Amino acid sequence: MEEQYQVLPGPEAFLPPAAASQGIVLPDPGQAHIEGRLVDEEEAYEYAARKLLGGKVPTIFPGPLVLWKWNEKAAKKASAIRRLANALPARLIPMADYRPKYPKIDPAVEINPNHPNLTIWHNKIDVCIFVGVHCHQANLALKIIRGGTDCYTIAMCAQAGHEDACLSFRDISPETIDKLAATVERLKKEGVESQAIPFEQFVMSREGVVKGDV
Amino acid sequence: MSKEKIALCEDLADVMPPEYQELVATATFGNQDRGWKDIGSSKELIEQHSLCAGCPESIAFRFIMSSIPNPEDSVFVGSTGCTSLVFPQVGIHNIHSLFGNQNAIASGLQRALAVRFPDRVKDVYVLAGDGATVDIGLDMTMQSWFRQEKFTTICFDNELYANTGGQESGLMQKGFVAKMAPVGKKFEKVKLPEIAFESGCHYVAILTVSKPNRVEQAIRRATYVAREFGPTYIQLYTPCILEIGKQSMEGLDEMKDSESIGGRFVMRELMTDEVKAFIKEKEAEDKARRKQAKAVTA
Amino acid sequence: MNKKVDGQNSRILLSEKVKVGSKGPVNLTVADPNEMFFEAKRKPAFLTGSEVIKEAIRRANLDMSVAYPITPQSEAAALIGELFSEGYLKEYFRGESEFAVMGQCAGAAFGGARVFTTTAGPGTLRAMENFPMWAGSRLPIQVCVTCRGINSPLSIQPDTLELYYMLETGALVWHAETAQDLYDWILGGFMVAEQPDVHLPLALACDGFFVTHTKDNVMIQEDEICLPEYDPYRSPVPCMDMEVPPIRMMRDPFVMKSNYISYMTHASWQQEVRAAIDRSRKHTKVIMGGSLIETENLDREILLVSSGTAVSQGREAIRLLEEEGIKVGLVKIKSLRPFPFEELREATANAKTIFVPEFNVAGWLAREIKACIPDNQRVIAGPHVAGGMTMPSEVIVMEIKKGLGMKVEALSGRG
Repeated sequence: MEEQYQVLPGPEAFLPPAAASQGIVLPDPGQAHIEGRLVDEEEAYEYAARKLLGGKVPTIFPGPLVLWKWNEKAAKKASAIRRLANALPARLIPMADYRPKYPKIDPAVEINPNHPNLTIWHNKIDVCIFVGVHCHQANLALKIIRGGTDCYTIAMCAQAGHEDACLSFRDISPETIDKLAATVERLKKEGVESQAIPFEQFVMSREGVVKGDV
Repeated sequence: MSKEKIALCEDLADVMPPEYQELVATATFGNQDRGWKDIGSSKELIEQHSLCAGCPESIAFRFIMSSIPNPEDSVFVGSTGCTSLVFPQVGIHNIHSLFGNQNAIASGLQRALAVRFPDRVKDVYVLAGDGATVDIGLDMTMQSWFRQEKFTTICFDNELYANTGGQESGLMQKGFVAKMAPVGKKFEKVKLPEIAFESGCHYVAILTVSKPNRVEQAIRRATYVAREFGPTYIQLYTPCILEIGKQSMEGLDEMKDSESIGGRFVMRELMTDEVKAFIKEKEAEDKARRKQAKAVTA
Repeated sequence: MNKKVDGQNSRILLSEKVKVGSKGPVNLTVADPNEMFFEAKRKPAFLTGSEVIKEAIRRANLDMSVAYPITPQSEAAALIGELFSEGYLKEYFRGESEFAVMGQCAGAAFGGARVFTTTAGPGTLRAMENFPMWAGSRLPIQVCVTCRGINSPLSIQPDTLELYYMLETGALVWHAETAQDLYDWILGGFMVAEQPDVHLPLALACDGFFVTHTKDNVMIQEDEICLPEYDPYRSPVPCMDMEVPPIRMMRDPFVMKSNYISYMTHASWQQEVRAAIDRSRKHTKVIMGGSLIETENLDREILLVSSGTAVSQGREAIRLLEEEGIKVGLVKIKSLRPFPFEELREATANAKTIFVPEFNVAGWLAREIKACIPDNQRVIAGPHVAGGMTMPSEVIVMEIKKGLGMKVEALSGRG
């Protein structure tokens, strides 16, 4: 019997395999996966919240689908993401688009799916959330992160989820993002403390960084 | 997408990179009177480019992108080559798939958008080099004209294959010595503007990009005519300064020389009388609207 | 090597935008495909394969098709044109070559349309550069490949060699045995290919003439129902219609740069396409009756394993052998990509000898099987015919007897 592949933080390999080709199957509605194991999504909320609270540099990477107000639902998701970032606390670093930017990328304030490891390394991010990124681009980034960094990746996917993340939700909505924030709040009340290194979220204007840590 | 939808979510806007904040605040989406004069006073749709310093293609891109009348509802199709190094930086959806198939892609795309958005104007443009347009893709270029596909084909004519290092192309001048033409090109520069007109293009323009107002005029005319009549074609001389042995600052002079009397890029337009009348009417409308807008601001 | 996907999920998942009961093209009503495929009342129809393609496309809520003549798919492509004239699809035209047609299909799919086309043999090869592009761009276009010979010399007759070329394009590749497979899989194919976690092209193959030009009884839906329309906003990449962010978006950009990490993006992109093929397993099972393979009598020591109409010939050969007391089991491979690795290993576990009849000179299916199962000396690659030859059941019988060390008289060639 072959050993079941586990989707764990790396660095995994020079070119790590896609988890789907290792037999990892995506969750069905109502489910999530933790490191490749299919679970009821309730279990994943708790697990994800603890992982995020336990991180030194927990970071949310919102993608184009939630950064741009292309419909009302996107705006609601953006609000929920901000609430989640505040609840943890977690840094917000945007994936504004998918064009290859190397070497011009400023890894302190942005992440790019073609070389996401640069942002992970630069900021020493140990746990992150992908949300609002098109699935194909998210899978590339998640796999490259697994290949070259030790970051624990969490995907909050509005579609079918991501095997290439260490933990993945599917069918997310503003409400489910709030649910993760509520789980964080509950755990905090129960005495689980955030291990995040204190930081000030950067604020950007048309001229550049206005304040905050970069 | 309406201009209103090109906006950031308030709750995450202040983490967005500066160039996007600027794009949302000052780009001329939704302004049907946008044009090359906006360059310098508003955010351009090109963020950056990776072409050679002084490359006339880069200025052509800036003039075109500032001139298209409907950027919020326009999609570009490119082809492999120098242009496809610029396109990832353009704030408009654009497709690169294979080398030479651009007019086939655009045919399918324009029809799909017409089917999906029957009540909206969605402009489709092809922008490709001369190798893609005239050599490897000529069949698909011309067939899209025969079929009367409603989009504009723009050819960046630099008279050779630039991205692969300066090989002979169909639009190269006769006698020019280049890679793959070691004893000089044996046949004349293909007369694509005339071929385009005979193949069913309703508006054809050939010019250089030395004068932004001319580029703007050609782009707007081609767009309007493509919406109402069918295919249109613009051939722009964008010399490859690298491959013809010029310096970065010499591109403009090269274009000016080529468009002076007797030159091969003296500006020409080909169109039927019907199209001429349509353009006249359309430009009178534009003028009246601009005048009124000015009066309101004053 | 895939893990066998269990059927935790026996339903086709739909976009939340689907409105069952809404109006489809002409007189059709949008149905839940789960009901349409598995519960809706059906009636028999006696049709050629080409007509079957038409009847499936009628119910597919298709946006666009592009056609080009090449035997043996011309009739089907023209019949789809008739559907266009009746209003069942929204766009249709004749392209100028298969290379252009596949580009036109890609353009329409980039723009968010559901697209279908057909091709065959030399046309498949002329179009070939497009298929990896479709897959890399995650375009869920369906192309029906009605297999025929590849030049030179010219042959318009059945031959499945072109499928060998299709196997590593990144597309899903299914091989229909019968007209019924063809009908059900065209409709089901859209539902699998358009899943957001799959979102890949599907090359649905059938054997030219044997399927396209023969009449068969096919069970089709009695009611005037059709598939829900395609929702391009579930795509794993942005639809190129300027309606979805990011607007600064090229599909697909050059990710190559002279450093390790950018090349890795390209490698990861290719892996992601293969991963999407693997993800299709659980969706494909649903529409293929629970498995990527169909089996009969796996306890037998001799097995016939094949795909397409070679399976039909095998079924008759098994009956003939049975009359002589020789017992042979059967495995029909329905999906070539994804390839049913685990399923095949399990199905062939007891077999001592495995025969793989094929309609091509290369014997590519035998190679695929050999690469997948232990003790692959059990695989006998044959019988083979090619170039439009038929494969009488007697030829398979003879091959099996010969393989068993029995003395047989040669069935004389009839070239």
